[in-house]
Amino acid sequence: MVVDPTQATRRPVDTAAAPAHETAGAPIAQSNLWKDAWRRYLRNRAAVLAGSVFVLLVLYCAIWPFVSPYDPNEVDFALKNQGPNLEHPFGTDNFGRDLFTRTALGGRVSMGIGFGATLVILLIGVAYGSISGFVGGKLDNGMMRFLDTLYGLPYLPFAIIVTAIFGNVTFWTMVVALSIASWFTSARIVRGQVITLKENDYVRAAKAVGARWFRVLARHLLPNTLGVLIIAIFLELPGVILGEAILSFIGLGISPPDASWGQMAQEGRLVYRVAPHIIAVPSIAIATLILCANFIADGLRDALDPRTRET
Amino acid sequence: MALLEVNDLSTHFFTREGEVRAVDGVTFSVERGKTLGIVGESGCGKSVTALSIMGLIPRPPAKIVAGSVVFDGQDLTKLPEKRLEDLRGREIAMIFQDPMTSLNPTLTIGLQITETIRRHYDVSKQDARKKAIELLEEVRVPRAANRLDDYPHRFSGGMRQRVMIAIALSCDPKLLIADEPTTALDVTVQASVLDLLDDLRHEHDMAMIIITHDMGVVAEAADDIVVMYAGQIVEHAGVQELFDRPEHPYTEALLGALPQLEGEGIREGRLTAIPGRPPDLINPPPACRFAPRCPYANENDTCTTHMPELREIRPNHWVRSAHPVSEREGSRLGTEVPV
Amino acid sequence: MTKFIVRRVFWTIPVILVVILLTFGLMRQIKGNPFRTSERAIPAEIQRNLDRKFGLDKPWYEQYARYVKNVATFDLGPSLVLRNRDVNDIVKEHFPRSLELGGLAFLFALVFGIPLGAVSALKANSWLDYAAMFFSNVGFAIPSFLVATLFIYFFVLQFDFGFPTSGWTGWESKVLPVVALGLAPMAAFARLVRGTMLETLQQDYIRTARAKGLRWRRVISLHVLRNSLIPVVTAAGPTLGFLITGSFVIEQIFAIPGVGRYYVTAVQARDYSVVMGLTVLLAVIVIVANLVVDILYGILDPRTRDVRT
Repeated sequence: MVVDPTQATRRPVDTAAAPAHETAGAPIAQSNLWKDAWRRYLRNRAAVLAGSVFVLLVLYCAIWPFVSPYDPNEVDFALKNQGPNLEHPFGTDNFGRDLFTRTALGGRVSMGIGFGATLVILLIGVAYGSISGFVGGKLDNGMMRFLDTLYGLPYLPFAIIVTAIFGNVTFWTMVVALSIASWFTSARIVRGQVITLKENDYVRAAKAVGARWFRVLARHLLPNTLGVLIIAIFLELPGVILGEAILSFIGLGISPPDASWGQMAQEGRLVYRVAPHIIAVPSIAIATLILCANFIADGLRDALDPRTRET
Repeated sequence: MALLEVNDLSTHFFTREGEVRAVDGVTFSVERGKTLGIVGESGCGKSVTALSIMGLIPRPPAKIVAGSVVFDGQDLTKLPEKRLEDLRGREIAMIFQDPMTSLNPTLTIGLQITETIRRHYDVSKQDARKKAIELLEEVRVPRAANRLDDYPHRFSGGMRQRVMIAIALSCDPKLLIADEPTTALDVTVQASVLDLLDDLRHEHDMAMIIITHDMGVVAEAADDIVVMYAGQIVEHAGVQELFDRPEHPYTEALLGALPQLEGEGIREGRLTAIPGRPPDLINPPPACRFAPRCPYANENDTCTTHMPELREIRPNHWVRSAHPVSEREGSRLGTEVPV
Repeated sequence: MTKFIVRRVFWTIPVILVVILLTFGLMRQIKGNPFRTSERAIPAEIQRNLDRKFGLDKPWYEQYARYVKNVATFDLGPSLVLRNRDVNDIVKEHFPRSLELGGLAFLFALVFGIPLGAVSALKANSWLDYAAMFFSNVGFAIPSFLVATLFIYFFVLQFDFGFPTSGWTGWESKVLPVVALGLAPMAAFARLVRGTMLETLQQDYIRTARAKGLRWRRVISLHVLRNSLIPVVTAAGPTLGFLITGSFVIEQIFAIPGVGRYYVTAVQARDYSVVMGLTVLLAVIVIVANLVVDILYGILDPRTRDVRT
């Protein structure tokens, strides 16, 4: 080991470990952990910038449709296919609708589906992963073997089949389609985390004093996977957002009149020769969101787990 | 002239928090065929000193800001990287603390030994393999010929350290630097690895620098001992002299002779631990760096405002302290220690 | 090692069976009827005959068993919609193009992504590193349909480089789709290689290699690169999924008659046997790729061999 003088000489933070018998001490250590993590996150300039842009993007999608002077669905062919200008910062689409307003509306749909599917993915992942990791033994082995099997499922074809099953594609159809073949990784992460935590002294101590298994799981194991789950949100989000966009783009997205960014891009695809900005605007919105999510995930990973980086 | 002369070496780390004086004006020399022990607790700069000699400090953030490392007449700090590469492994070899991570897990140990030989000597693959088997036998790895094509994970910690030693010896270096060679090993294995090192040093007529935090390790192996604290040499003497008549309060502490501040340790007959921590090496105050932990220093002392010089208290016995044993009043034991 | 490979190969058989079963189960949930063209109802008699012809009147497990048997003999059955066409014919016609597209894109991603990441890591925190990583992060985030559309817009419409905008014939028609499809995986590889290389450079055994006096070039090419490529190999599996997903978009935009494009058509036409066949085909490809990845991993990292055998 190269001696890292910054490590060697830094005065260790006073981390008075909670005595083993006093498991109630864990939450106190937790709040310090979060404060520390937050401080570390703020030190990462890229992550802070990404976080700010992300919040702005969410606020824009949430608020702008109420404030906008334009009706997002009002067709006016006199205004069609205008490039970005002062009145329409993102230009207008093939029907003369204001793209700045429609992008905000599309963002609501895309992000709604994105967060919805991410939530479902994490819920399944937590359920599957924590049972597998907590019970261990043969069940764990079998469940992990099954998970290995599922890794053979190609993501998009299965999403497409699900949309075909439901026939009429709605918000929830989309959520199911996008999560059905993408929860495997989150299940693995949760399992890994639960297994690591299971070996921790305070969990052993809790077991030793006779805490019931669901109490150990609910009170000690799951709260401590929270950090990993928060990271997982931002790791899963890009894939889901992109998946929705691709399904919509190839014509299997949710039914009109609701427009997602993917559908806007598909509309733009039809007229890209005369008005390339119509496909560019929603695509750049998607790219921005994904870029932010990636940097936020990186920042969170460094902040919450400064030593071990996922390989 | 000595084989290695380190003069006023200073290696600093340039970090976001500031300039860390990891090695701060270190001077010592190693004669041909002799062993120097460098002792100190972790973070005292002993490993950085070794890496500075090898030219292996991580750059950035570290940089040799002053001093020279003269090996066999040439200043290594001024050599271009290519010339240093020719020297490393050939003239100066090094083994590291953790044998579990010091070998490449994806390459056979045979390859890791022979690539060193073939780097420095113009020999065929077969000859290099033969030489590698001889080396493994020399470091007492059982069934050496069969184990050449094994990967490191099949070896125990002690065996891996033997492989590291074989690599280090492969080109008959003039100087071997062993950085905590036994710290990561089981206690039972430590002694045998140390014996092996000592035997090999005599057989190969090498000079050796052995770096450790454990006085017991250097007691047998070393001719001279340098005690480092917070980037500086605080005491430097022959091994006999240092163990018989330690002068610096820190050396005393390392030898377990320092009176405890709290009686607990003595009562339980435990080895003494030194209360407190080494100072921050970013902009350290102009004072003795040991003063905050020194049981003999008080606020009125000059050593809390001035850095004591490294002075020759007896012939060939150097110490950096305002309160060396021989200048203290009364006997060591039984003195009331000011808190 | 041989034992490990044999075991690993045999393990793919149950995996394929389960994946076929899952696909099969899902497909059965789809409502709608391929034979019912437009509004006109099909007489019950004919419907029954059709069902019998395609074995749809049997219980599900018999259908499954029959299907598995057919798949094992490389027979994916007839198309339900196109008369006189087998799924095999469709695969034979469309799959080679998709395979070529995906393969070339993968190659492109490897050939450009790994050096980009390696240079970034070796020149960490230089302007070159920043530029490469900016490019990689953006390239990773931009949806492939924008990349493809912009390629056509700029390289064909604005400045004519002589690339056609559609089809899959000469090499000119392949350049843009391959780059558009390979860009995101390339960016992913670059980011990954940079990260793992920076980590590998910190390892103790790299310091050992330098302490042995090895030339910097050899330290990098043997010790650093070899160990940094292990995560790249493991990432190849997900990358394949990436390529399959991307090919659906790219084939549509560049009008390449490949599997991805046909898949969408088949879903819309409710041609279940084709959808089923193509899904199984894609799944088998993913499974085989995972197999190859595991074996390569075993070769690159000797530690895993001992654990598994």
